[in-house]
Amino acid sequence: MARSIVLRAFLLLPIAFVAAFLLAPLGLTIAVSFWQRVGLSVRPAFVFISYLTFFDSVRFAVLTRSLLVSIEATVLSLFISYPIAYFLAFKTRPDATRLALLLFTTPFLVNYVIRAFAWTYLLGRTGPVNALLTSAGIVNRPLDWLLYSDFSVLVGLISSYMPFMIFPMWLSLAGIDRALIQASWLLGASPSRTFFSVTLPLSLPGVFAAAVFGFVSCFGESAIPVIMGGVGYQLMGNTITSAMDVLNYPLAAAMSTIVVLAMAVLLLGWYLVFDMRSFLGKVLNWRT
Amino acid sequence: MSTLSRPTRRDLMVLGAASGLSAAMTTLFATSARAGGTINFADIGVGDPDGNWSRYSKASGFNVNLVAIGNAPSAILNTLVAGGGTASYDVINIVGGMQKPLVDNNLIEVVDTAQLPNWAKDKNIGEFLGKGKPGFNFIGYQDKVYGVPTVLQGDSFAYLPEKTGNLDSYAALFDPKWKGYVALEDNYTTAGQKTALYLKHAKLAQITNPDDMTADEVKTVINFLIDQKKKGQFRVIWSSFQQAVDLIVNREVYVIDCWEPMVFVAKSKGVDAVYADPKEGYLLWAMAAYLTKNPNRSLETTKAAYQFLDFMLGGWYGAKITVLRGYMTNTDAPIYAKEHADEFPAGDAQKVADITANVRRKFAQGGTWQNRWPTQVDVYESEWARFKAA
Amino acid sequence: MRESARRSHVLVWLYVSFVLLFIYLPLLPPLVFSVATGEAGAPAFTLSRYAQMWRNPVLTSAIVTSLEVGGIVALIAPLLGLAAAMAIRELPTPRLILSLVLLPLFIPGVSAGLATALFFQLIGIPPSLVAIAIVQAVWALPFATIVILVAMTTFDPVYLEAAWMSGANRLRGFVDVELPLIRPGILGAATFSLILSFNETVRTSAVQGGHNTVQTYIWATYKQVGLSPTLYALMGLLIVLTLILVAAFLVVGARGRPGSG
Repeated sequence: MARSIVLRAFLLLPIAFVAAFLLAPLGLTIAVSFWQRVGLSVRPAFVFISYLTFFDSVRFAVLTRSLLVSIEATVLSLFISYPIAYFLAFKTRPDATRLALLLFTTPFLVNYVIRAFAWTYLLGRTGPVNALLTSAGIVNRPLDWLLYSDFSVLVGLISSYMPFMIFPMWLSLAGIDRALIQASWLLGASPSRTFFSVTLPLSLPGVFAAAVFGFVSCFGESAIPVIMGGVGYQLMGNTITSAMDVLNYPLAAAMSTIVVLAMAVLLLGWYLVFDMRSFLGKVLNWRT
Repeated sequence: MSTLSRPTRRDLMVLGAASGLSAAMTTLFATSARAGGTINFADIGVGDPDGNWSRYSKASGFNVNLVAIGNAPSAILNTLVAGGGTASYDVINIVGGMQKPLVDNNLIEVVDTAQLPNWAKDKNIGEFLGKGKPGFNFIGYQDKVYGVPTVLQGDSFAYLPEKTGNLDSYAALFDPKWKGYVALEDNYTTAGQKTALYLKHAKLAQITNPDDMTADEVKTVINFLIDQKKKGQFRVIWSSFQQAVDLIVNREVYVIDCWEPMVFVAKSKGVDAVYADPKEGYLLWAMAAYLTKNPNRSLETTKAAYQFLDFMLGGWYGAKITVLRGYMTNTDAPIYAKEHADEFPAGDAQKVADITANVRRKFAQGGTWQNRWPTQVDVYESEWARFKAA
Repeated sequence: MRESARRSHVLVWLYVSFVLLFIYLPLLPPLVFSVATGEAGAPAFTLSRYAQMWRNPVLTSAIVTSLEVGGIVALIAPLLGLAAAMAIRELPTPRLILSLVLLPLFIPGVSAGLATALFFQLIGIPPSLVAIAIVQAVWALPFATIVILVAMTTFDPVYLEAAWMSGANRLRGFVDVELPLIRPGILGAATFSLILSFNETVRTSAVQGGHNTVQTYIWATYKQVGLSPTLYALMGLLIVLTLILVAAFLVVGARGRPGSG
């Protein structure tokens, strides 16, 4: 009896944690988005002026850019990372896997600002990459588009969040019962058929997790756009900070609320389009 | 009835755990050390004499706990209002000109200059920052003094003479000869104001006051900048010291709107960069240290804080900061550096003298005073957003 | 048949090496900058920064703070994540709980930081290690939860049924059978939480009060005075330490392999 109360309390702990330390600030943000600016401070009210200002201005373009770039970066990262995860799950010796995972993960303990500046050094007009390309004769003059462009932002985003994508996909792939794959071979399926009919579907939970991590991280990114982006490149994090810089808290709050809504809509879409079972599958089934 | 029995091993363990836990809790919940006298000093990085506060600590008996904060208005206000508020910091050292939002939100206190012996010694204050002068906007508001000037500087732009020859006007930033090899700062109160200064002098736009433009004037400046951007004039808009230095050192751009210390760093790395002396004048600004408004601050701490402010107006601190960061501080600094060869080798003392003389020259020549909080700041911000999105 | 197999093998290794290069390339410049002086008329390389960084009191206290907070977050985020994953499994509203746990991902860092700081002021949590640990744990929780959930999807409940049939109760079944099998997930969650903590800047800066973490210190200095070589030295130290860790793993793994030595 006592144990199940303890168990219940333990299960409810994270919910209480999030409720306490996130819902309250979130509620505050949403409330402020409807408040009125009075001089340099704010007054509680219920007006839509901040939202109208946002949709009517160039900042809306920042939202669409954030969505597009995040989707691009996530999709590219998925395609790059999946083979690595597959390689780690199936092609490496079991004792070497942990080492390999470590190898792919530890570089990210180094601060992302420093890594971003390292990229600007590498991709600059006078940097090593351009030097290599020109000395090898592949190009005549240094490439301008390697840095301060959409390309460099993608490089920055992908290289920053890859471990968060490799690991969940590896978890899924490594957990696939080998007997299922062997059964597929025994039944005469070719390796590619086996992959598409057995391996890939069973690895979908990891792929979804990787997609969520990648998308969210890119969407909220504010340093890489300003360090590696082109003239005036900014994502939602930058434009919110910019509004705060002039003490326009309702506008900043409105933009934050819209970001939350946009993500919530995407999450809802995910719930509706993909049956939760394909993600949680066995996890939910066994409750019976 | 039971007398105190001898503590069992279990009791000792519990006691040990409890005391360990409470010690851990104290550390975990500890705000930064306040006991025994500490000045909590929020600084944007410029005011740090490499951690050497010994002269102040010996004289006052107080330690200094330096906290790094950003210089953007949002960072400062968020920190003071929400993140710990005025209770967490005693003195903040930021680029001046933000007194209006700080005072209107009850975040800083008036400074009683009579308690600062070094105030009268600093000639810069009288000459450039006095009441009624435009520089007063960096330390005062509504005729009261709120800040102690710690750093003064006149900005223009930097260029690589090996690529561009000698340049003497902001027109170089918009010269099609350097298309794609120019960078501006992502700041409407520096890059925007310099552009306005240029447009006014070149008679390309009708601007009365580059340091406080009307909405229409701002739009004109931004339209000009958008036109330049579309022509591919700019390589990037930089938003951090590190980025600007890299742009110069890597020779990624040839002409860059930036701060003088970046040129010093580039020179030290063997890159021939020159900070221009444009005929239109300079963008003049100052950093100021403010006393946060904390009614719960003890009298003792306030006295120590005043000592701290006075220390920052002193020769040793000024000379140290000038050597480390390349900005002018106060007029006592070059004198102190020269007189104390044991603390400041001849090369450093000369550097302090040169920088101080050079910046004073810039202030004498004039230009436009940076205004961090123009009347139409909302228009500045939204127009700058339009520039960035174009 | 063997020819194409070998070719594809080579291609695979090439691809993996290329990706590894991509990940490790940005670590080279900081390493180089930490030892190269780049100054005209001075010796080309120096190790002095590695000693210098310990003499900077702001940096050393920031390092201590980062380690303390990182340790706390790497401990409690996976625990909360485990509880959340189990809650999704046991309680009747899995999608609601998952949405709640994912919520911290949706809020932009700068707004979350400011609102949380105001909220802390309201309920009386002073800016302190606890405050920093809470915001970072809230941020890490969704990552930890999802990783553990993914690990759970690979776990076949048939093992638990076998344990129950052998007479174990639910708790023992969980601790003895399931936990070891999802351990990679929990370790992964802990590693992710540490990485997230070591990179978290915006939320932390809003609630840190008088403390600095390495990340907020880097954030402030890079904007206003530039990255100093001592910061590169710190990162260089971190890189060297992690490579030593990897090498140690290699050695331990080689020794532990049956039939070696």
